[in-house]
Amino acid sequence: MVMENKADVVIVGAGIIGCAISYYLSKRGKSVIVLEGSDNIGNGGSSRNGGGVRQSGRDPRELPLAMYGIKELWPTLSEELGVNCEYHKEGNLRLGKTPEHLKILQGLTDRAVACGLDVRMIDSDEVKEINPYLSDEVIGASWCPTDGHANPMVTTLAFYKKAREMGVRFITGEKVERLRKVKGRLRKVYTKENEYEGEFVVVAAGYESREILGTIGVDVPMHKELCECLVTEAEPHMFNQMLGTAEADFYGHQADHGSFVFGGMSGLELNNKDCGPVNSPSNAAITAPCICRGIMKYFPALEDAKIVRTWAGYLDICQDGVPVLGFVDEVPGLVVACAFSGHGFGIAPAVGEQLAMLIDEGKTAVDISGLRYGRFKAKI
Amino acid sequence: MNTVVDRSIDIGEFIAQPDDDMLICRCEEITKGEIRKAVHDGMWTLTEIRRYLRTGMGLCQGQTCSRLVKGIVARELGVSPAELEPATARSPMRPTEMRIFGTEEV
Amino acid sequence: MKRYEVIIVGAGPAGLSAAIEAAKKGLKVVVFDENDKPGGQLFKQIHKFFGSKEHHAKIRGYKIGEELLKEAGELGVEVVLNATVVGLYPDKEVNVRINDEIHHFKGDTVIIATGASENMVTFPGWTLPGVIGAGAAQTMMNIHGIRPGKKILMLGSGNVGLVVSFQLLQAGCEVVAIVDAAPRIGGYGVHASKVSRTGVPFYLSHTIKQVHGEDCVTGVTITEVDDHFAPIPDTEKFFEVDTVCMAVGLSPMSQLLKMAGCVMEDNPKRGGQVPIVDEYGETSVSGIFAAGDVSGIEEASSAMIEGKMAGVCVAEYLGYIDEEEKDSLLKVFDADLNSLRQGMFAPKNRGKLIESTEEGIEISKNLLKKGYVKDDEIERFPGVVHKSGVHPVIECTQNIPCNPCQDACKKGCISTGKNITYLPFVKDGSECINCGMCVASCSGQAIFLVNEDCGDGSATVTLPYEFFPLPEVGTVGFGLSRKGEKLCEAEVVSVKSVGAFDHTNLLTMKVPKEYAMKARFFKCS
Repeated sequence: MVMENKADVVIVGAGIIGCAISYYLSKRGKSVIVLEGSDNIGNGGSSRNGGGVRQSGRDPRELPLAMYGIKELWPTLSEELGVNCEYHKEGNLRLGKTPEHLKILQGLTDRAVACGLDVRMIDSDEVKEINPYLSDEVIGASWCPTDGHANPMVTTLAFYKKAREMGVRFITGEKVERLRKVKGRLRKVYTKENEYEGEFVVVAAGYESREILGTIGVDVPMHKELCECLVTEAEPHMFNQMLGTAEADFYGHQADHGSFVFGGMSGLELNNKDCGPVNSPSNAAITAPCICRGIMKYFPALEDAKIVRTWAGYLDICQDGVPVLGFVDEVPGLVVACAFSGHGFGIAPAVGEQLAMLIDEGKTAVDISGLRYGRFKAKI
Repeated sequence: MNTVVDRSIDIGEFIAQPDDDMLICRCEEITKGEIRKAVHDGMWTLTEIRRYLRTGMGLCQGQTCSRLVKGIVARELGVSPAELEPATARSPMRPTEMRIFGTEEV
Repeated sequence: MKRYEVIIVGAGPAGLSAAIEAAKKGLKVVVFDENDKPGGQLFKQIHKFFGSKEHHAKIRGYKIGEELLKEAGELGVEVVLNATVVGLYPDKEVNVRINDEIHHFKGDTVIIATGASENMVTFPGWTLPGVIGAGAAQTMMNIHGIRPGKKILMLGSGNVGLVVSFQLLQAGCEVVAIVDAAPRIGGYGVHASKVSRTGVPFYLSHTIKQVHGEDCVTGVTITEVDDHFAPIPDTEKFFEVDTVCMAVGLSPMSQLLKMAGCVMEDNPKRGGQVPIVDEYGETSVSGIFAAGDVSGIEEASSAMIEGKMAGVCVAEYLGYIDEEEKDSLLKVFDADLNSLRQGMFAPKNRGKLIESTEEGIEISKNLLKKGYVKDDEIERFPGVVHKSGVHPVIECTQNIPCNPCQDACKKGCISTGKNITYLPFVKDGSECINCGMCVASCSGQAIFLVNEDCGDGSATVTLPYEFFPLPEVGTVGFGLSRKGEKLCEAEVVSVKSVGAFDHTNLLTMKVPKEYAMKARFFKCS
């Protein structure tokens, strides 16, 4: 069977963003081709993150997307996709041990409250009530009861599975080399062997988006930093909240399976030597042990939990810490969705749904104007 | 490997087999039927199977089952097992307590 | 961070050999091994090795292990036990768990010699307690002194399956059958024959259909398979057993290499996922080497040579020897390795059906199917001759690179000719003094001393005997055929155990003379 390499929309990148956009486009009756450069679906940050589905701690420009997703999409996502995404909406604790920590947390909280988010500061007694396993050294936290977590690997593959069932054509091992305008509009996507064509081209390829977008003269100011995660063997169930700390020593949760999944950094990331390809970077020898020490400072009860695996992944960190989403006015037909800066998973369903709407109707229901391409200006 | 694979190629329907309830990944208790079903759900690489089902993600880290899973997935896809790239190896090679793994560098 | 010139992971035959070679050239060497005893699999290997002197032939595996450890110790190699390497990171950083701490070391070079792990096959019941790997059975018996079970079925007729079956018999277990889905026995014929003559049946072209039991193994059903390995209906056979051993191949434990970013390949001929290495074991990452089973499943003998090669390469890499010296050493190792990789079981012949020997003699079909050479087939092999008086009968019928027999005979009766793989023969006009050294030296237990006619209607057969209890002189029992069937009454007339035999006892039994060329084992009544 010879397939025509033409569709309404061509999406570059089969991470959770590309998969989610393809699913919601397909729901709207659009034909979609998704091109993935690696051999695996969801091979970048989508399967290398801590699984947070948070609103708290977010920049006001992306907070509306986070709130919308948690209200409208996440609660029914497992049912809709036919796969248990292990979503829990049982709150996020951001922990503090010093007055300086509490100051940081208070600042984050104030900003979120101003945007209408239900988040507040709580004292050590209330923290202990919510999570009795924490160290006595925790003196306070910010608490957002509607935050939560899900399984990022499964959620990504669930979007893929459902989209594939609905007829979205996924092609893996198909690395995009070049984009091309035809008659005033971005239409063509070239790989080593093939070319693809769409009315719209979505670039959702994580850090690699920068190089791909460069071929059409579009540049997103971002850099990559290596972040690492670890997972323990299954432990008896302890708690369902998503956790983080004021100083970002670690973040993570206990999965349905019983294992604890935590992520973090060593602090040397900005100047780390290159740890290898974007799709399978090596761990740095010092990072996972550093995350362990961070966890044990807050969770002494976990010191005997056995770590079975660690992994690394690159964050695609934007100059101003929030993603670049939507149309690029100067290149009709181009849609960008990248530079998620390490917090793309939780907003992925909302991004997918809203960008599908944008492509189909030319507008979004949630305000994403603060995330537009072209917002970057010199400081003076 | 990076070979171009169109995931919409027809690999046929999932057909139940009598030994579908046989355990393959003992650590995570995943059966042959679940693995075969996952292939029909679109999980065509060992990495995707592992992320979707947790095969080989338990205490033994796939020491026993990775070869078995590979054989099952290859048969289901109608390819040679050698064509399937094994999942990545991850530190620690043996399960290690957090307090030990977190030892300060000396 | 502490840095070593060479960090070796795995203190098995490859790792220790690499350590010795590198230390000989003056390098400071550390070897990490996660076990509490060094030696890898060598200390489980109680059988005598094949090969030539250079390959430690006719020495038992554990003795080789002891020798390597002693040599490494004398050269100042630091062997750290209970030291689990948990990760190999960029810049050759090695994280090692020792006791309750992770230590970070760097190596100028790293040699990975982590060996292999056992494969499993699945069938209903394969997860029941009592279904174990043959290697696990070997560990239980030979390291911990525990019998894995009482009645055992072995799946797999490669050398591991055959050798472990024999060890199970030695440990006092009953081996009810050796089963293999392949149409032919995979291991050496001599290993099969020594098991077969004790009465263990072989079922080739058979596979396990199901293992029975609720909480543990109570039995096993096997079934015959056709040329495409599909079960043939109504061919099921049931055995009451408490243990099923699987000897279905090994997979390289190459995860550390993969983690270190070495370019890997999936190579069924090497046993699975292996690093792509040059001919001396260097991976795609400069300064990281692989030696032994981790870079391709072979024998311990070849692992030792690969280890030596890596050791020499590392010495040159770090400037302890010049290239010329390296090349001349590697040339010798190359020749050793090459001689091991000869014969019908050479890696290049894997999977091939070989119908005749290098001498042009037709291979015994029965040996490949049933595990023993039939009476009417044995006569065509050069080691089987008839003479008056005591003389050796060498039942070596396949080309294996092995020649201890020719050095064993002080009278020079035995020769393998110019090639190490040739079948040994008894030289014309040679004089046998009945010393028994040839019998004890044959790692395949394929040499017998026979006096076909003692003059009183009887014959004597001297055979290698490695079982306890050792029968006393005067014990009357049965002479068993090559198939293990009772042939005739037999009386033990001599039992010799001297140091030079290295635990292979020589049992001489008296049988009616018509059984001189048929009786090959003794069983007490």
